[in-house]
Amino acid sequence: MGPERYQPFFYGPEGRLVQVEYALEAVSRGSTTVGIRTDSFAIVASHVRPPRELVDPFDKIFEIDEHSGATGSGYISDMLRLVDELRLEAQQYKLTMDTPIDMYTLAKRLGQFIHEFTLYAVRLPAASIILAGADQRGVHLYQVDPSGTFSRGSAFAVGKNADKAVDFIVKSYRKDLSFDEAKKLVDQAVETAIAEKPLLQYGYVNIDTRSFVKQK
Amino acid sequence: MTTIVGIKTKEGVVLASDKRASKGFFIASKDAKKIYQIDTRTAAAIAGQVSDAEYLVNLVRAQKKLMQLERGFELSVFEITKLISNAAYYGLRSYAPFLAEFIVAGVDSEPRIYSTDVSGAISPEVFTSSGSGSPIAYGVLESSYNDSLTLDEAKNIADKAVRAAMQRDPGSGDGVEIITIPLGGGQA
Repeated sequence: MGPERYQPFFYGPEGRLVQVEYALEAVSRGSTTVGIRTDSFAIVASHVRPPRELVDPFDKIFEIDEHSGATGSGYISDMLRLVDELRLEAQQYKLTMDTPIDMYTLAKRLGQFIHEFTLYAVRLPAASIILAGADQRGVHLYQVDPSGTFSRGSAFAVGKNADKAVDFIVKSYRKDLSFDEAKKLVDQAVETAIAEKPLLQYGYVNIDTRSFVKQK
Repeated sequence: MTTIVGIKTKEGVVLASDKRASKGFFIASKDAKKIYQIDTRTAAAIAGQVSDAEYLVNLVRAQKKLMQLERGFELSVFEITKLISNAAYYGLRSYAPFLAEFIVAGVDSEPRIYSTDVSGAISPEVFTSSGSGSPIAYGVLESSYNDSLTLDEAKNIADKAVRAAMQRDPGSGDGVEIITIPLGGGQA
């Protein structure tokens, strides 16, 4: 029993959470997924890798409540568990407050749920979630990571070559993007990231209807 | 015992109450406080068991504060009312009911009045009254209310309604307290 058997499980030598790093590494191998928002709408899109013949592609856009939806990248089973949690939080909030959960609270509750995993010697959910929704305060886009960190913003990308997709969107983003322009931007961003024609699934949020719609 | 009244106008909301607290046939206080400020733009008038009502007001103030800090923006008047009614409902369902009724009045995107009861039911109202004097107050409200009242006119009607109840209801008396919350909040 040499000392090398006691590798640090939580923190690495630089003070980073080893498990989080590994989970993020797993996410960065997932399918490229992006989200973009303006004041009047939000679009989320996820690339679905074509499965082999005779297998249906997996549904990657998830309705959370009428006003919110999610997509993400990473292990699909982990993502499904997180989506279940989001749906549960949304309904619990609605039951006590009789109003739809606001997007900040929704993102935070998911962050808190994931954070619990970082405290114990368990496997973290290896999935990053992109959340889109409309509430009393407008249209919001959030990214929630395996560390439990969540951030609000106007463009996010997770999965394979996410940095390339983000770079592409950052270069052409404007606050007054029309819906069609934004959708085109999303398509191009993913295409740039994966260097091939993507097969995308979409979800939309609209400020006027305050509803999340899955395409098709 | 008690008479409380709430009226909604396009300019804001009015809450009025009498000042009598009774212990059976005995007047326990001639200067009872029945209108509680929940925040700068929401207030509640209470009828029924004072201790229960006060406990619920304090509970809701605390819950409201915590929720506001958590989600980062104010609760609507309806959401505040819902917090009261949640506690009332669970009280009833666990055989330990809160014996109080509330008129919650406030202004968020527009003026709002809600009434809640022991069962936790919420009803949005344009004018409402509660307490032993309410049948008498309703006589004044039903004959005087219209939907184009100014805040000052509504204040006068609320005053009249409570005073009428004080004349004929032995559970109500000893003066009137009135507050108004105009559009934009803050007490006038």
